[in-house]
Amino acid sequence: MQYALLVYSDQSSWEGIDEEEAARRRAESMPRWIALFEELGKVDPGALGRELEAATEAKVVRVVDGERVVTDGPFAETKEQLGGLFVTTLPDLDEAIRLAALVPAAQYGSLEIRPIVER
Amino acid sequence: MEYLALIYADEAVWERMPDAERESAYEQYAEFSRAARDAGVLVGGNELGSTSSATTVRVRDDERLVSDGPYAEVKEALGGYFILDCPTVDAALDWAARIPAAEHGAVEIRPVHVDEEA
Repeated sequence: MQYALLVYSDQSSWEGIDEEEAARRRAESMPRWIALFEELGKVDPGALGRELEAATEAKVVRVVDGERVVTDGPFAETKEQLGGLFVTTLPDLDEAIRLAALVPAAQYGSLEIRPIVER
Repeated sequence: MEYLALIYADEAVWERMPDAERESAYEQYAEFSRAARDAGVLVGGNELGSTSSATTVRVRDDERLVSDGPYAEVKEALGGYFILDCPTVDAALDWAARIPAAEHGAVEIRPVHVDEEA
């Protein structure tokens, strides 16, 4: 079974901080990310993972009466924003929950697990 | 440069849709995928199970909190995604506008972070 693990967190604490502080924060959480990638490599070496640029970089496209309408910012104005995702093949939902809990962002944000539709 | 195209649409409409109409919607998505693949733009993509099949996991004070349902209840929910490899954000927007959901829902484009050390 394939699952998407959607990583949501409040990105506002990263706004306006300098490169040094961002690097410090990244370094601090790095051991937990490495532990996650090691575990993911064991259970599904083919897992896909992508980290996104901040939601402030988002653009939304709609086509209204054949005309393209583009707006700046994310689609949903929620406190926590999507910051990345994993797509992985796992035996069951319990295993997906176990891995989701290993994602560092689970400690300060939310991990949403969604089954992938196979057709 | 990779862009994630997030597809937002009204799940209720999708679920109520007659089978024939849904098949035709799937065919439109297949056409989009073919066009994007032929253009060398398509990296990947998937349809997500509905938000009623979602599970949300949080860890607080080392305790695992698991709840049924999506992270946020919204009318138009994330229903799938494509990863598109495009030279510019404008090119990504051009492709995003061709995703069928752009006509009745919305498509959000997010640049994928490139790790400079990798």
